[in-house]
Amino acid sequence: MRTDFGYFEEKQLGKPYDMKMLKKLYPFTRPYRRLFSGSIMLVVLIALLDLSLPYVTKIAIDQYIVPQSALHKPDSARSEIRYLNIDAPDRKTRKIINRYPDIFQIKGSKATIELNNLSKLSKEDLTELRKKDFTGLSILAGVFLCIIVFSFVFNFLQVMLMEYTGQMIMHDLRMRLFKHIQRLSVSFFTKNSVGRLVTRTTNDIQNMHDLFTSVISFIFKDLFLLTGITLALLWMNWKLALVSFTVLPFVVFASMYFSAKARDAFRILRIKIAEINTRFAETIQGIKILQIFLHERENYLSFKKLNHQHYMASMQQIHVFAVFMPVIELLGSIALAVVIYYGGSNMLEGKISLGSLVAFISYLKMFFRPIRDIAEKYNIMQNAMASAERIFLILDNQERIPQAVNDSGDKTPVLTKIKNMVLENVSFGYTEDKTVLKNISLEIRAGETIAIVGRTGSGKTSLINLMIRFYDPDSGRITINGTSLKNFKLSSLRSRTAMIMQDPFLFSGTILDNILQGQANIPKQSMDSILELSNCKKLIEKLPDGLNTVLYEGGTSLSSGERQLISMARAFARDPDLIILDEATSYVDSETEEKVRQALYSLIKNRTSIIVAHRLSTVRHADRIIVLNKGKIIETGTHDQLMKKKDFYFRLNQLQSSS
Amino acid sequence: MNSIYLIKPYLVKNRYMILAGLLCLIVVDMLQLFIPRIIKRVIDDLTLFQINRQQLLSYALYIVGIAVMIGIFRYGWRRCLIGMSRKVEQGLRNSLLDHIQTLSASYFDKVKTGELMAHATNDIQHVRMAIGMGMVALTDAIVLGSASACFMFYINKLLTLYVLIPMPVIVFGTRFFSKKMHHLYQEVQGSFADLTEAVRERFAGIRIIKAYNLEKQEAYKINTISKNYINKNLRLVKTTGLFFPMLVFFSNISLAIVLFLGGRKTITLAITPGDFVAFISYLGLLTWPMMAMGWVINLIQRGRASLDRINKILSMKPDIDDAIDAKSIKQIKNSIVFENVSFSHANNTPLILNNINIKLKQGDILGIIGPQGSGKTTLLNLMPRLFDVSSGRILIDGINISHILLRDLRALVSFMPQEPFLFAGSIKENILLGATETKESQLISAAEKAALYDTVRLFPKGFDTIVGEKGVILSGGQKQRVSLARTLMHDRPIMMLDDPVSQVDMETGNLIIKTVKAMAGRKTVIIVSHRLSAVRFADLIISLDSGRIVESGTHEQLMKNNRYYAKTFRLQEIEEELNAN
Repeated sequence: MRTDFGYFEEKQLGKPYDMKMLKKLYPFTRPYRRLFSGSIMLVVLIALLDLSLPYVTKIAIDQYIVPQSALHKPDSARSEIRYLNIDAPDRKTRKIINRYPDIFQIKGSKATIELNNLSKLSKEDLTELRKKDFTGLSILAGVFLCIIVFSFVFNFLQVMLMEYTGQMIMHDLRMRLFKHIQRLSVSFFTKNSVGRLVTRTTNDIQNMHDLFTSVISFIFKDLFLLTGITLALLWMNWKLALVSFTVLPFVVFASMYFSAKARDAFRILRIKIAEINTRFAETIQGIKILQIFLHERENYLSFKKLNHQHYMASMQQIHVFAVFMPVIELLGSIALAVVIYYGGSNMLEGKISLGSLVAFISYLKMFFRPIRDIAEKYNIMQNAMASAERIFLILDNQERIPQAVNDSGDKTPVLTKIKNMVLENVSFGYTEDKTVLKNISLEIRAGETIAIVGRTGSGKTSLINLMIRFYDPDSGRITINGTSLKNFKLSSLRSRTAMIMQDPFLFSGTILDNILQGQANIPKQSMDSILELSNCKKLIEKLPDGLNTVLYEGGTSLSSGERQLISMARAFARDPDLIILDEATSYVDSETEEKVRQALYSLIKNRTSIIVAHRLSTVRHADRIIVLNKGKIIETGTHDQLMKKKDFYFRLNQLQSSS
Repeated sequence: MNSIYLIKPYLVKNRYMILAGLLCLIVVDMLQLFIPRIIKRVIDDLTLFQINRQQLLSYALYIVGIAVMIGIFRYGWRRCLIGMSRKVEQGLRNSLLDHIQTLSASYFDKVKTGELMAHATNDIQHVRMAIGMGMVALTDAIVLGSASACFMFYINKLLTLYVLIPMPVIVFGTRFFSKKMHHLYQEVQGSFADLTEAVRERFAGIRIIKAYNLEKQEAYKINTISKNYINKNLRLVKTTGLFFPMLVFFSNISLAIVLFLGGRKTITLAITPGDFVAFISYLGLLTWPMMAMGWVINLIQRGRASLDRINKILSMKPDIDDAIDAKSIKQIKNSIVFENVSFSHANNTPLILNNINIKLKQGDILGIIGPQGSGKTTLLNLMPRLFDVSSGRILIDGINISHILLRDLRALVSFMPQEPFLFAGSIKENILLGATETKESQLISAAEKAALYDTVRLFPKGFDTIVGEKGVILSGGQKQRVSLARTLMHDRPIMMLDDPVSQVDMETGNLIIKTVKAMAGRKTVIIVSHRLSAVRFADLIISLDSGRIVESGTHEQLMKNNRYYAKTFRLQEIEEELNAN
């Protein structure tokens, strides 16, 4: 069964035998060398067993069922007559021979009988006469049985082994890719859509699956089988073999020709079905527009047209296959006809046995299937290589925030406690042509609460992005305790900070998991106090499963205020020195809003905190307020100081306080 | 639920094609049965040397001749039967889309896009498979299966009985395993979806992961999910890996039986060597029908279930439809009135709109303001009956809109929703949206009014620029303006604009506001905006909060009121002033 996850990128197809890609993939297979070679050995064994079956039949026919012909040229009308030889007859057989003196010819210890005349014997006599053949046949049938049992067992083992190996390699590759992407800097994520990255880690890796299972087993099994059959045929009768091979070029040519056609047909079909799906989804998502603008009719008609194109494409595909399959079958039949004519003639001349002829027919049947599949394997290979290319494009990307600059390991200072943070002439822009922050200088001391206010787009969020080192400034520097941010290990820096975002992002999983986020189990008492302080207690009590309530799709079952409370608890659980908080623009109801505010106050108490504030009521108690406008600090001071200044902050406040 | 009626018309309509296809299939089956007969003759004659080259050649030619015929007829049935199943697919998909378009907005709030898409893709595919391959497999199972069994019987009854012993195992094995495989395959798909979702979530929340140092632990979680996916795959392969070799195994057992018993019978002259070889060939022909027999039942069952699901959608009645006594109305002469209008999505859910009363004369401009979630958008949705009021009435010229033909009502309204929705075509197609008989000048004029023309002119392909799925190549502001141009293009008596200037800069916003102002008196404009300069000039401004009208009046009246409107207005004035700096 081909597992198709409906994913295929049209734009680029890889070269199927891209050595560079295979070289890059090789290290991933190395840990599984043993399994690989085991699987390949099994494959070879299976091929051998498969090959032996027609041969066993051949032996059965030639040795026991239809005895080897003894050729004579008597004066009868027919040129040749088949005889059964009886060597060294025992007492019972001799009796039988003596009973029919006219049809047996006795030459010393040997007796022969024309095959035609066997029917003149009584059944018992015939059975007695050929009891040796019966025994031989029974033994061969036993051998046959053994072979198929072994073939069955080996086949199963091989498939399991290959699948396991392939899956493990894919797993390693997937994890490697995931870890790599996860380490890339935030700027990488702003440039690449989440959807695309997800596709790389899932579908593109999936595309390698067939490479590791069906293609590799093809290369070893089918190619081995093909070689084996070729050798067996040549060995049995090289002339007949060569004659029957005359159809092969046609088969290969037809396969190649039709596979190109089939690929085109498939591609068109896939493009069309993708278009249909897009249009269908569009219809659902844009239903309001369609209905309001009374566009349903036209939309239906153009969908119908598209659907018809898909139908035509599918008919084209049916056509290709309806021609291809019969053509291959026809070639197979022609090969059969050749064997019958040429092989039959040979047999008449005594150059080949009946068994060999039958075996020839069987082997030819086995020969055709793998050849027919070559085209398919080629496509799989091509697809897999294109995916590999896309995967390695990401793996080769080294766009990450560099780890501690003095990368000498032990020299990296460990951040145990944040005493102060200083920004010196920091400038920053996401793109080269647009500066978002200009010459920001700021000193934050331990225990201070700093509020950042300003209009949308004034650079508030960018500023905190720098502080937590999602990005590095373009110029200027940021230091903690006098050491540049760049000199700390990222993990060391981030273990002392907690960030609460505007839109609290929760992961699927239990609430407890979301709060703990991997910290070793916190004692129940501290957990209680965390819930208490973060105002989550009531919320948790309300839920039937409490802390073990499972959140789906990022906790959409909770209100945004409730999610914010849980994200507060998450921050509490880490007990950080520095809190960076991007205040949410709107809470749903005033009750939750009050709770969030309370939780916030308990959180920033006795800690250093930087708050991006969207409403001024939060700001009033800050030790310092920074007013940003167009990437510059335009005012700074306490609430009272700024109010006295009667500038921008003052006017904003006047408006809001009049409410 | 009997949903066969859905495909019956296709079967009836294409009955000759089906008949032809089945006939071809049966001919192919029969012809296939002749080849072993020829081989038998050849072998028997060869065994006894009762044949010459001439005769051999004619046998060989027979085989080629039959093969050519098989090829031709095979083409015939593939074309007819599989082609027919594609026709059904096409038809079902058309009717599904056609029907879905008639359903009302509330249905789409309840049903996820992904779910509907699954019906449109998987279910239709299952039905297609059941019809096309189902028919082929069924015919093959019956015709080829029984005919080859008959031919075998004809050769030797007893031997046939022995050889057929493993066959039921193949039939039931296929049925059992294909069911199981389908089930396991779905599990694999499910766990693949889990993996995708887990990875997506991690990448979407990358900032939290980085800020909280969670890289290791998230990688560990993905590792677990990925391992789970592997296990599911291995479970599937354990079954497939058992199933396919098992099929081969059991048909090989039959072969072993032929070898042993058939060989004996050949020796004792009960059958000829040719019979023996022919027997082996028939056995080869028999395996597929046996598999087909097991497979086809599942195929048809699955197809039935899918057809039922499709039928369920197709028999869904739209919530909002024409009333029996619906009137036709082509224009608005006097007034639009909201009378005690309340709305909630379902009983027992909180009211989103609560007792709204508004009176508008044709040509008035109504401005709606209020915080997020106060019911502004919902109010707009009621006008073209995207939703129906829960209580109260909306009257156009004194007629309740629920008694106006839906098509007529919607033809009175042009609507620009908050989230601009663009289709994957060109900018032009998106603006015209069916208004095909439009002059280029009208298009340009609409684009100019929407402050879009200058932007479009900068694109190399101008209006023919393809915007991609949901308009991906455009910025938010550009999308909004395309959506606005579309609304302006459809010149209808009522124009509703939901936050038309939210994503454009101040200057562009002012341009758009000028356009709206210019429409005063000509048509009724309902405009929702967070930027109050966009509603300042309205004849009536209402301020919503939690679904209620908390204040209403003209700009001057509301400024005097000194409540939400006045406060917000002053704040925005300061912001604009700062912006100008």
